[in-house]
Amino acid sequence: MHRLYILPTLIINLTIILVPAFLTILLAFYKWDGITLPRFIGFDNFEFLWYDRVFWLALKNNIIWTALFLTIPVAFGMLAATMLLVVRRGRMLFQVIYFLPMIIASVITARVWQGMIFNPVNGIYGLLDRYGLTLTNPLSEPSSALFGVATVDLWHWWGFLAVIFFAALRQVSEEQIDAARIEGATFFQMMRYVLLPAIKPTIMLMMVMTVIWSFLVFDFVYILTQGGPAFSSEVLSTMAYRHAFYDLGVGKAAATAIVISMFGLAATVFYIRIQTREGDL
Amino acid sequence: MKRLVLVLLPLFFSITCTNKKASLSWWFEAANPNQRQWLNELMEVPFETLYPEYDLSIDYRGNTLDQQLRVALLSGNGPDIIQTPGPGYLATMVQAGQLMPLDIYADEFGWKDRILEVFLNMGSYDGKLYFLPKTYETIGLFYNTKMFEENGWAVPKTIPELEMIADEMIKMNIVPFAAGSADWRQASEWFVSIVFNSVAGPNNFYKALKGEIPWTSEPFIDAVDKLKEWWDKGYFGTNYHSLTIEQSFATLSDGTAAMAPTGTWSFQYIPTYFKGREDEVEFVGFPSAEGLPTPLYMLSIGSTFSIANNSSNPYGAARAIDFMFSDDFYGDINTVWQGEWNMPLRDLSNVIIGENVIPQYRSSMENLANAVSNNQYGYTTWTFMPPATNNYLHSGIEEVWFDVIDSGEFLAKIDKLFQEEKAEGKVPSIPER
Repeated sequence: MHRLYILPTLIINLTIILVPAFLTILLAFYKWDGITLPRFIGFDNFEFLWYDRVFWLALKNNIIWTALFLTIPVAFGMLAATMLLVVRRGRMLFQVIYFLPMIIASVITARVWQGMIFNPVNGIYGLLDRYGLTLTNPLSEPSSALFGVATVDLWHWWGFLAVIFFAALRQVSEEQIDAARIEGATFFQMMRYVLLPAIKPTIMLMMVMTVIWSFLVFDFVYILTQGGPAFSSEVLSTMAYRHAFYDLGVGKAAATAIVISMFGLAATVFYIRIQTREGDL
Repeated sequence: MKRLVLVLLPLFFSITCTNKKASLSWWFEAANPNQRQWLNELMEVPFETLYPEYDLSIDYRGNTLDQQLRVALLSGNGPDIIQTPGPGYLATMVQAGQLMPLDIYADEFGWKDRILEVFLNMGSYDGKLYFLPKTYETIGLFYNTKMFEENGWAVPKTIPELEMIADEMIKMNIVPFAAGSADWRQASEWFVSIVFNSVAGPNNFYKALKGEIPWTSEPFIDAVDKLKEWWDKGYFGTNYHSLTIEQSFATLSDGTAAMAPTGTWSFQYIPTYFKGREDEVEFVGFPSAEGLPTPLYMLSIGSTFSIANNSSNPYGAARAIDFMFSDDFYGDINTVWQGEWNMPLRDLSNVIIGENVIPQYRSSMENLANAVSNNQYGYTTWTFMPPATNNYLHSGIEEVWFDVIDSGEFLAKIDKLFQEEKAEGKVPSIPER
């Protein structure tokens, strides 16, 4: 009888998530322009992606993005979280400041960076140029466009990790911390032997989610560069969007979506494996 | 009880059915509050006054209008008046049976006499009319008359003349071509269209669109090489990817840039950036290569109107479209909102545009209409090429600019995509030259 309690969530999941997901998987094997009727073509869409230069470029960009987001915001977040642990007064204020970029709509954040910071005429870059320091707008060069977009998203994202890690750190049992202090542990030893191991599940979860979210990244890339210039900041989701809505190739977009999901699935399997090994599941 | 229901039923119907207006729905793209007010004052209210049996409602759907339309039409919903951002997807919509043929309305309302013939041909598939353009535009060259006068530059009519003054501008640290793609990366298609017409020539463009010659032919290689040369020389300045369309047009007014190769849609920026000195900006057709006709007006359709095949009120929708193709509406809307409502009327002589509108706008529209009716026109990639081909073009030319690929590889990919889409019937209608 108690199993019936999962029914409402299950129904919602099936209709809103499972049915569209299944249809997307099905569409990957069809040629469809989104207007006329779909036509079955087997693995042709995947073959197209295999031989498409832009697909491999986008995949490479997603991998670079994942590497950036698995390191920089995690390091910054941990640093800020430990600082917050040490500081007693002003903790709330700092948490709010760190979290603020996260709550601003991504469109606004992107436009501010594009128009008021990176812009070499009207933005801060332009101001610096007038004082003799000429910086190139990273969004305008193929070699730096992806990193320019990543900078904006890193600025938007790291505060979230700081707050999450801080919340996890606060959950660590006081007795363990006291015991370590009594035994003469320095702050770094406390971090290394008590705090970090204690919040390892949180760090693991955030890293797995980072991998999944890195392969889903869309909004900042689309708003700032639409994958340009010259495909240099193209990621799998912007490529899929283009195929679906501009090239009338919904089948190719569905095939790309499956590739994205495969990476997310791999990360999830990895996470569940680790959890099972540690006996948490 | 039964008798009571039988008596009340007709009474109920007579109450609800009298004075019931036929509803007409029209999904529009993005419009700011001023623009919505103008549409209400100049379209909704006068239309409903003239035809009180209709209740016209304009629904502002934003910049993703075409995507929303596609989803709605697939599910059998959607508005009566279908507005799309261009003919790119229309061939596919006609194939899918989503659009109603408009020939009976064209006959009844006399569209064949009032509208430029080339647009009636462009709107036809398999001999039936399916759309009318909301606005047609062209690309040309805006230039700063004051800077030209001060430096003794003559308005260029040929590519060599253009390059001569552009090279001089570079030496003086003036940007020859004010251009920016930060908010519309697709702006690169304007410049590809320019070289395809002004260097390769409209006749070759026509042949390639018809599939008679491949896009890898010599004239197109020369055209793309020429565009690459302009990029490498610095004609587009250093901030092309950082400036928005409006910001780049503004550089024409402050001495940073001397020319702007852009479309007639840029007339909307003149009141802001040339306020009080409107005579310092002029618009001409883009120069052509030796041996090609000049001036050459490249045709672009800004938006299209169709009627949904499942519309419950097609006659009302046709009347609404016809209302917009009138001298009065043309004059009124262009007085307040330039560049977006250039309906392809054959005869603009009776149109009254407000005095506050700069004379260059009116003369440009008249020159364009005359050129089109004399068959002196070229093509734009976004109006005449199929969707995936044109979409690749935006990024592909950037790859050429940044030396990722060369013109041959770029055009080979264009040709491959074009031939595939042509085989699937996705190429828009190309009227005979």
